[in-house]
Amino acid sequence: MDDSTKRILQRLMRRIPSQMLQTMLGKWAHLSREDLHSLDFTQPKWVLTEHLLALCEENGLRVKHITELEMIYIIENPNQGMWHGFQLLDAEEDAPSIELTQFKKQFKANLTELISNVSIKIKKHTDEAIWIRVAWGDNFTKPNHLKPTYVVHHLQTPYVFVTGLTSKYKPLLNQALVLATRYGSMKDAHLSGRNLTAIRDLLMRQYQQVFPTKNPKPLQEKNPVPRNPNIEKEHAENTENRLQIACEAFGDGTLPQLQKAVYKLETKFRDNSNKTLTGREEPFRGVVEFASTNLLESLRHCVSSGTVSICLGLGFV
Amino acid sequence: MSLLKPFSKLPGLNTANILLVENEEQFQQKLADTVVLQEKTVNVNVRLARSLPLPMENEESRPRIDLVVFIIHLTSELSFQSAETSLKYLDPGYFQGKVCFLVTSARNVSVPPERLVSVRTLAASLHCPLLCAEDQTTEGVTTAARRLLAILKVAAGLVPMATGLYLSTLTRCTVPSDIDQQNFE
Repeated sequence: MDDSTKRILQRLMRRIPSQMLQTMLGKWAHLSREDLHSLDFTQPKWVLTEHLLALCEENGLRVKHITELEMIYIIENPNQGMWHGFQLLDAEEDAPSIELTQFKKQFKANLTELISNVSIKIKKHTDEAIWIRVAWGDNFTKPNHLKPTYVVHHLQTPYVFVTGLTSKYKPLLNQALVLATRYGSMKDAHLSGRNLTAIRDLLMRQYQQVFPTKNPKPLQEKNPVPRNPNIEKEHAENTENRLQIACEAFGDGTLPQLQKAVYKLETKFRDNSNKTLTGREEPFRGVVEFASTNLLESLRHCVSSGTVSICLGLGFV
Repeated sequence: MSLLKPFSKLPGLNTANILLVENEEQFQQKLADTVVLQEKTVNVNVRLARSLPLPMENEESRPRIDLVVFIIHLTSELSFQSAETSLKYLDPGYFQGKVCFLVTSARNVSVPPERLVSVRTLAASLHCPLLCAEDQTTEGVTTAARRLLAILKVAAGLVPMATGLYLSTLTRCTVPSDIDQQNFE
């Protein structure tokens, strides 16, 4: 094993937290059972890394095996680094019928045609998502495994999630993806964040959605929950109404975790005390930013606790 | 104006009614459950409200309120403001021993100290007691419930030889005036 491979493995070992190490190595399946047992996971990590390096040397493992381990780790813990959502547009006729082997072949062929020195790894996860790991190199250098790009795509959906992509290689990846999925183009969905599951849920509408119903109030129960007769709420009806409105707008399940929402406004300025800005003909441009640890949850709480007394209507793009 | 009046209804036999007013509507539920559990001899009714004025629909069924407790969370400015605006809807008769202020998170470091000072000045100007409660543990809730029950029983007239007005002169909140502080220095 040469130096760069050793460095990649050492970096990876530093990245994986100690609690997950045993399960990750187990899933990796490139070490034999005896080897795995011989590793002592109670030792400090650097000792373990040395031991693991020795084992990998023995078994003759190479870069491609180590990148497999990295991929397993990232698939298990996707909520790190910055993910960006993209949407594919202008589907061609056979776009919905693309299946895995065809996609894999096309993508690899396209990308290697565009740039010769790339290392591509494609893996299908249990939840129908395809994970692609790309390490970029150019005509004179080998692929850089320390800064890989990860792409997640669900077949038959027009959505792609990417992390770790520099602007230099962005058009190449775009072109390869667009050709492989048989779409016309790819545009930025303007949705990005650390939490891949939240972005995916939002974009693919996998959160609990609320549909308009004819009878919004639930039916009266025959056996109501026994409440203490000595305790009575004065504003009971008001509270119920607020909860109802909150549920109608947001649903009552867990909401995807959104941290920041930025709106670009183009509107007219209206303030009687400021004549210079009010009289202008051109539209007033501004940016409104909402930030919170969990934006949708806090909005829902605002409505249900009565902090906001107006009924909100939100639509997801 | 829909003022809450202290003596417009007849009292019940061996009954005491307490009204807990809290903007966040969270601590009052725990407190209500504990108060009802703690008291065995007197029939205690707890009414929970977010703010005053109370809705007109409940006017008929509502019993005579013996003690109004304003729960203020010092961590939120809105809590204090909501309590202040609710005070306007109380008949002045309540301020003779039938109003009490309950404050939470007084020990919290992130709370600006000016807020507690303003609550204290408010309570002192109205001659009402100010209690500090700890709402995160069960012991804290039980202690607060017990203290409220003690004041409630006096305010409802269930303790012989003691009235709310008498008790409030002993328990009312005071704010040390600036002159006293200067003397210390």
